[in-house]
Amino acid sequence: MSSPAGSRRIALVDANSFYASAEKSLDPALADRPVVVLSNGEGAIVAASSEAKALGFETGTAWFKVAGLAARHGVVAKSSAYENYGVISNRMHAIIGQAAAAVEPYSVDEAWAFLGPRSDAVGIGRQLRAALLQNLGIPVSIGIAPTKTLAKLVNKHVAKRVPAHGGVVSLDDAPAGWLDAHLAAHPVTDLWGVAGRTGKKLAALGIHSMRDLRDADTKMIRKRFSIVLERTVLELRGIPCIPPDPLHHTKQQLMFSRTFSEPVTTADRMTQVMSIYAQQASGRLRRQGSVAKTMTVFASTSPFGQQHHSPVATVTFPEPTDNPLLIAKAAIAVLPPRMIPGYRYVRAGVMLTGLQPVAVQPMLDLFEPSPKARELGATLDRITRKAGPGSIGIGLAGLRTAPDWAMKRENLSPRAFTHWDELLTVAAK
Amino acid sequence: MSRVVVVGRAALLAPLRPLPLAPVAVPAGFPSPAEGWITDELDLNEHLVKDRTATMFVRVSGDSMEPAGISHGDVLIVDRSLRPVHDDIVIAVLDGELTVKRLWISPRGVTLHADNPRYPDLHVGELSALSIYGVVRTSLHVFTSR
Repeated sequence: MSSPAGSRRIALVDANSFYASAEKSLDPALADRPVVVLSNGEGAIVAASSEAKALGFETGTAWFKVAGLAARHGVVAKSSAYENYGVISNRMHAIIGQAAAAVEPYSVDEAWAFLGPRSDAVGIGRQLRAALLQNLGIPVSIGIAPTKTLAKLVNKHVAKRVPAHGGVVSLDDAPAGWLDAHLAAHPVTDLWGVAGRTGKKLAALGIHSMRDLRDADTKMIRKRFSIVLERTVLELRGIPCIPPDPLHHTKQQLMFSRTFSEPVTTADRMTQVMSIYAQQASGRLRRQGSVAKTMTVFASTSPFGQQHHSPVATVTFPEPTDNPLLIAKAAIAVLPPRMIPGYRYVRAGVMLTGLQPVAVQPMLDLFEPSPKARELGATLDRITRKAGPGSIGIGLAGLRTAPDWAMKRENLSPRAFTHWDELLTVAAK
Repeated sequence: MSRVVVVGRAALLAPLRPLPLAPVAVPAGFPSPAEGWITDELDLNEHLVKDRTATMFVRVSGDSMEPAGISHGDVLIVDRSLRPVHDDIVIAVLDGELTVKRLWISPRGVTLHADNPRYPDLHVGELSALSIYGVVRTSLHVFTSR
């Protein structure tokens, strides 16, 4: 290892079967049972607990194909409860942040934790793992190494696979020669950030194993591939050089998208969908205290159907805004007219980009239609918080009847973090 | 007779993370004399929740802890990060169910005790054999919701 012990260490903290673990954390009766989580609408498995994986249930499988088998094995199938997963994810990142010198969230269930040069990395990792398990009910695997690429490898190949380590493994504790042999024994495409296409090009150059890549000429790699792959080479040598992804640092985009339970085929329906999604997205904007410069709206037909169409449109606002009226109006204006009549759209979404804090805005909002608009947004948010989503809305979103394209959410866990009337129950008996 | 001391106004519906007050923009250019003196009102979350990332609100079903001041329908504030000690009111996992009990730890073993005498105690071998979900800090008992 070229980095001496005692220098900075990076830990990749990754939740095990995050959505399935989140379901278990809200229902102790599921503790040792096989649990799968299904996507809304499509009904594919999006997460499987270790017990379900052991029975052969895999992420990505269409549920209808395995539902019979699952019933025979007593597999518990839950609908995706994104409100719960969102809160649990936020808490997970906050707890990691308390344990580490610095933290960089990487995805909903993964984060890089940076540990100081003189810290007991494995000790911190074990404490962090215990805290996440006790305080949140989420089991994680932690791989510790001098670089992100090696931490990811140690996590995926050792911490997750070898239960004897108790979920926390540091490369510093590996026997002499272990890393070299391990890199030699595994294909380069198993590495974080090396795609299959890159793998083919590398193979043509005689680079097959991870060790081949580590020992490749960096100048050649940069010239033939990219600076990104060159960084991977250096990281395999123990030199940390993959910078933080700025997108993950400050939330610079915000997405609201859903799959419908019934396809949408008319512009009227899509107008209704856009109106609601735009309001949901603007509500999230206000909750995080941001305004958006640009909005992209999109829809798509089923990839399994006969007729494919994925309309997309981008709108730039005259001034960064969080105004639900303006955002909904723009979404309605651009997307429904781009639909092909008669096509069956199964998914749509609103993405807000170019986010900035409200305070960065010019003090005088010359382009906002009126200062009342901000109050309107805040009022809508208050009512929605008190009476639940869908209780009030602008224009078509104000419809009281439940639209038939609302998500199919059967066997949905209580939204125990976000709704007073759905708290977990404790028995006093 | 009980004495009531008013400690201040509580912002009951304050969000968990109150937004910082934005500086007040005054178009004419004269800042408000109150600016700089504006402080947050009392926040019940701050008062009742020690560690936000480890806190769960749960609803009570049943009357076995009535003498402790925990009634059917109350909301309990549970801190999952606390290490349980003797006489704590805890949420224990029993037969896959969350159950509220008083934890008694003695040299003879661990007992899950119901404060209501109509319910039997449950003797457990060791603390390690028991799964404790969290420690109850507070019970919220609502007298009227009108």
